[in-house]
Amino acid sequence: MTNTMTMTSSGATSIPAGHVIDIKGVSKWYTPEFQVLKNCTTKVDKGEVVVVCGPSGSGKSTLIKCVNALEPFQDGEIAVTGISLKDKSTNLPRLRSKVGMVFQHFELFPHLSITDNLCLAQQKVLDRSRSEAVAKANKLLVRVGLESQAAKFPGQLSGGQQQRVAIARALAMDPIAMLFDEPTSALDPEMVSEVLDVMVELAHEGMTMMVVTHEMGFARKVADRVIFMDRGEIVEDAPKEDFFGKPRTERAQQFLSKILAH
Amino acid sequence: MFGNFDFEVIIRSIPYLFMTGMVFTVKLTIFASFFGVILGTLLALMRLSGLWPLPQLAAGYVNLVRSLPLLLVIFWFFFLIPFVAQSIVGSERPITIDPFISALITFTLFEAAYFSEIMRAGIQSLSKGQVSAGYATGLNYRQVMRYVVLPQAFRNMLPILLTQTIVLFQDTSLVYVLSLNDFLGIAGKIGQRDGRLTEMYLFAAVTYFVISFLASTAVRRLNSRIAIIR
Repeated sequence: MTNTMTMTSSGATSIPAGHVIDIKGVSKWYTPEFQVLKNCTTKVDKGEVVVVCGPSGSGKSTLIKCVNALEPFQDGEIAVTGISLKDKSTNLPRLRSKVGMVFQHFELFPHLSITDNLCLAQQKVLDRSRSEAVAKANKLLVRVGLESQAAKFPGQLSGGQQQRVAIARALAMDPIAMLFDEPTSALDPEMVSEVLDVMVELAHEGMTMMVVTHEMGFARKVADRVIFMDRGEIVEDAPKEDFFGKPRTERAQQFLSKILAH
Repeated sequence: MFGNFDFEVIIRSIPYLFMTGMVFTVKLTIFASFFGVILGTLLALMRLSGLWPLPQLAAGYVNLVRSLPLLLVIFWFFFLIPFVAQSIVGSERPITIDPFISALITFTLFEAAYFSEIMRAGIQSLSKGQVSAGYATGLNYRQVMRYVVLPQAFRNMLPILLTQTIVLFQDTSLVYVLSLNDFLGIAGKIGQRDGRLTEMYLFAAVTYFVISFLASTAVRRLNSRIAIIR
């Protein structure tokens, strides 16, 4: 009885201290010749904000999708809160419901209103009642500043608004960690900051976050660690100060000089 | 030439033509479409499941049905099924099956093949991200399909599904080979009885045209509205 209680309702409090996400020696091939991930190992501690950067095609989006088991990987091991994704007995939908994910192209459900976008998984996965789910949805919409848009459909919102709704949708599940896959890459420049502001606020509140992004300003502001990937490898994995101060590898130096130059 | 036309026969037979014939035709169209879409959607899900041997079974079924003339299937089904049912049940005589039910099953099975291809296209037209987003919020396969994928696929494909239904509306006239009292069947019977086949077939053609044309126009309107929403 107490077990199920902690499983379903208490969210962050039931997580043992330590690594929320554990990635060990993960390799992935699209074809026998084409390897997208090469022996990647890293971890994300509770309350930590880790930014993953690197040139396009370096495998960073693939890696973050592997964490949520949205992409299969052939070799290695990923565990979320100590539960292995590869273990046959793992209930993947339940595990995913505890990890929020925000996509590059928002991926709101276009046939559902904003409120229903936030309520669907609450009701179907967490078995919350309609009124409970709506109350939670409203609270989160206030938080991302979109309470007046609740009855609209995703197509009626700007990109920045849609992405804030997507963040609220993920938060509605009371996740223990949040994954962001290039959350601002598809946005018009003037909308980037409204999304980043929400993310910065989340980080300050102690949310465990793994963020794939090119926004180095965001990384400087809130990241604890920065991971630099290139050609499927984790080339650098260092505290923010070390990474921006004196990157060890030449590849990271080149990348940084390019991205910070403009 | 038209001097010989007897429009009286049309007026006289209108109640029977519409109250019995058109009701049969429309009922057959609606029920066969309804069950055809359900079965077609299941076939599409099987085809896309990637779980051996479901895709092979679904593809085999669709290819088989699409390679057979509809007329032949109607014929075959109506005359063969009573004997098949007999051997299954083990009764002494062939089981009589209501001709409407027989026609309904035939058209459902036949249309399901076409609807499944439409639904498959509808499902595949959705971005992979929608499926990922469904999974990422913790929904399982069944829930992702039911709440995220199928509603969108169905909405996107609605105009094509309805167009296919209009084609089916015309195709149901093929039940004339079973001497059923659908709209065309009744028109033919009256025409033969009164020696007024030309008038009756002409009237039937006009009726099919008007209904199909109006329906197609309505679908086009709907299509442009859906396009705006999207």
